[in-house]
Amino acid sequence: MKPAEVSTPSDREVLVKRSFDAPVNLVWQAYTDPALMRLWLTAMPGWSMPVCEMATHVGGKYRWRWRDNENGLEFGFTGEMLEVALHSKIAHTQIYDPGDLGGSMGDEPSIITVTFNETNGITNVATSIKFASKADRDAAMSTGMTDGMEMSYKQLDGVLAG
Amino acid sequence: MNRDIFQAIADPTRRAIIALIAIQAMTPNAIAENFHTTRQAVSKHLRILTECELVTQEQKGREIYYSLEIEKMKEIDEWLEQYRKIWETRYSQLDDLLAKIKKEKEEEK
Repeated sequence: MKPAEVSTPSDREVLVKRSFDAPVNLVWQAYTDPALMRLWLTAMPGWSMPVCEMATHVGGKYRWRWRDNENGLEFGFTGEMLEVALHSKIAHTQIYDPGDLGGSMGDEPSIITVTFNETNGITNVATSIKFASKADRDAAMSTGMTDGMEMSYKQLDGVLAG
Repeated sequence: MNRDIFQAIADPTRRAIIALIAIQAMTPNAIAENFHTTRQAVSKHLRILTECELVTQEQKGREIYYSLEIEKMKEIDEWLEQYRKIWETRYSQLDDLLAKIKKEKEEEK
């Protein structure tokens, strides 16, 4: 599949698009079943996802937490489901939980909207991350940068160790 | 006036202008030829891009040439690249997972 496309449709929004070679019911399952979510939502090598509580009804709360297996440091996201339409859309609030990793992504929750669309067995997924304000976006920008650098360093460690 | 760099790149015409002048410095007329829009509209976009310090102007003879501030563009690009990296790592893991589930379902049949 083609790599993820990232764009900024407005000054407070980031849009990520990607297609998957699977019917929408399977993609939906991978996005909503905690046992499956754990298998792919961890984006950094050497990290695990000790907490993965999901909700698939409006008003339901979710809680995700990642841990760096090496030093035990954790961070996560929490939020509330705003909209759930089977096989087509999930919208939820998202608050950064700095855990013991620190950093900030602003005070107001961001709104995450994920839409699913299947054509000929290929599922197109669009993820919109909408920040509450430009200040929050800038806070996420600096925190995201740090995480990204941390990830790159870890990957470099892996290469050097190998 | 302090404009926001994200606002600058949120507009599709401005993104197209950025792509054009990233290759070479151009006059507003030359830029306008690439769009179904008025020269005035292009000037307005160039003004916004200038206010964000994304483009700089240089007078050559009677013409003004606009060029892209690559360093400024890099700032925003690096941030989006982090997003792309994190998401792409997740998505390729999701690719593997979906392939596995699909195979399991087929074997059940």
